[in-house]
Amino acid sequence: MSGGAASPVAVRYSAVGAPLAALAATALFVVGAVAPIYAASEFTLRIGNQGLLLGMLALSVAFLMNQAGLVALGAASVYGGAGYLFAIGINNWDLSATQALLAAFVILVVYAAALGALIIRTNPLAFMMLTLAAGEMISHSVMLEGLRDYTSGADGLVVAFKGSILGLQAADFANPVHFWPLAWTATWISGLTIRAVRRSRLGAVLRAVRQNEERMRFSGFDTYAPRLMGFVLINAVAAVAGLLHVLNAGFVSPDSLGLSLSTNALVSALIGGVASAAGPIVGGLIFAFAQDEFGAYGVTQLLTGVAIVVFIVLFSKGVVGGLTSAARHLRRPSDPKGGAR
Amino acid sequence: MLEIDRLCVNYGRVRALDEVSLEIGGEGVLHGVIGPNGAGKSTLLDAVSGRRRPTQGAIRYCGQDITGKSVAWRRHRGMARSFQRTSIFPDLTVDEQLRLVAWRLGDDRLDEIIQALDLTDYLREPAGRIAYGVQRRVDVALALIGRPQLLLMDEPGAGLSAEETLHLFQHVRALVAERRIAAVIVEHDVDAVFSCCDVVTVLDLGRRLATGNPAEIRADARVVEAYLGSAA
Repeated sequence: MSGGAASPVAVRYSAVGAPLAALAATALFVVGAVAPIYAASEFTLRIGNQGLLLGMLALSVAFLMNQAGLVALGAASVYGGAGYLFAIGINNWDLSATQALLAAFVILVVYAAALGALIIRTNPLAFMMLTLAAGEMISHSVMLEGLRDYTSGADGLVVAFKGSILGLQAADFANPVHFWPLAWTATWISGLTIRAVRRSRLGAVLRAVRQNEERMRFSGFDTYAPRLMGFVLINAVAAVAGLLHVLNAGFVSPDSLGLSLSTNALVSALIGGVASAAGPIVGGLIFAFAQDEFGAYGVTQLLTGVAIVVFIVLFSKGVVGGLTSAARHLRRPSDPKGGAR
Repeated sequence: MLEIDRLCVNYGRVRALDEVSLEIGGEGVLHGVIGPNGAGKSTLLDAVSGRRRPTQGAIRYCGQDITGKSVAWRRHRGMARSFQRTSIFPDLTVDEQLRLVAWRLGDDRLDEIIQALDLTDYLREPAGRIAYGVQRRVDVALALIGRPQLLLMDEPGAGLSAEETLHLFQHVRALVAERRIAAVIVEHDVDAVFSCCDVVTVLDLGRRLATGNPAEIRADARVVEAYLGSAA
């Protein structure tokens, strides 16, 4: 017998489990925001901050992979682009810091919508190559001699803003101890937003389009607009991560735009697992600390290669996906009806 | 309801449909389309449903020329179809996919379809994991959502046993009569078509050979020669 009404065990589990899970998540958020400030060194917090921002970028890449079956290889161009636009807004357009932040965000959302409108109809391979091409074009355009007055070429830009943003001065953003709770909160907001979208009708439509686009059209759905909305959403998350990065670093360089960072985001998503919102963020943290550990020996690229092989071939669900599956597996024997599905 | 006017469809240099004209419709009418392989049956359904653009000719639906209209446009105006190869969402549960489509098409009477097609026991199963015969019923259920006026079915019996095919046809027969809609069924199983359809069209080499009730078609000398042979 398959299907049918939910078993009493499953109903009891979900009725008790949902508030408990919410309580645990709240506790994790509060402890995670405060404890590292007292327990970790400034250096560790600095790596942790990088990990969270990489995790946000990985979150955006993973969302499109999981929901739409599309791999975006140009995530860093928006991440770094946000930094450049913020710096240009302050240095060249005489905007206040808040105005520059908003201007950079709006420009990038408009850019993502225009790029998405052009490329979202293509097949997954073409989409990946086109995002790569768009990202590389942006990455190389900042090096153009004609734009040197704005971008400073290979030297990168120092961003020193006056005034405050949300009550925080430039020095607060640069201080890893002060920045950690901000990055932690932004990461949670991004993660919860992505989680909500996954569970929304838009998420269901995106998954259904990925599985069978033709049937969706024959069911009366526009298959173009939902994918475009998904593409704009992930770029908005990448832009927020990029803005936080430039506020924290006070500097933006061509490295923050390049393919290498896009690849790191992709690998982080694979390490953590693309099927949940927590996976890519955990992946970003693991990647940042591993990079710090192994980078000193000059084997970062080797590490990246090994991680890709291991997490695609052996642990395709990633760390968080694997742990979730294991937890379900352990819980099942105690549930005579097979647990809540 | 549906007027097909001198419809031609080319695949490169090959003409798959050659000036086919046909009228389909009427409340509760089940219209079968039969013919040998390569006769143009699926091409006819593809052109009518908007999956393939005709090379020439026109398709009128409820008096309106819909030749250039999109698939989604046709679906919202009551034209639905099922596919020769089951076209469902394998990773979504049966319930999730039916509800998603019902939401899009504003159909609040999904339970009737679920009951009519015996899907109640499978609602919580991912559609990719259920038996093929049940998947065919999910495919038909997806087409029935939104109370379509015209249902186009491409070989609903493909991959099913003769008994399962007849069972599915009887489900469709009952639904068409009850909902007073029109249905077109392209099918290889001639016995099932003759036993359930009110009108039968025979295609051969991209041309319409004959249209009539099952008795007329069985007796048509051209049809017997080109397709039915001793089966009649």
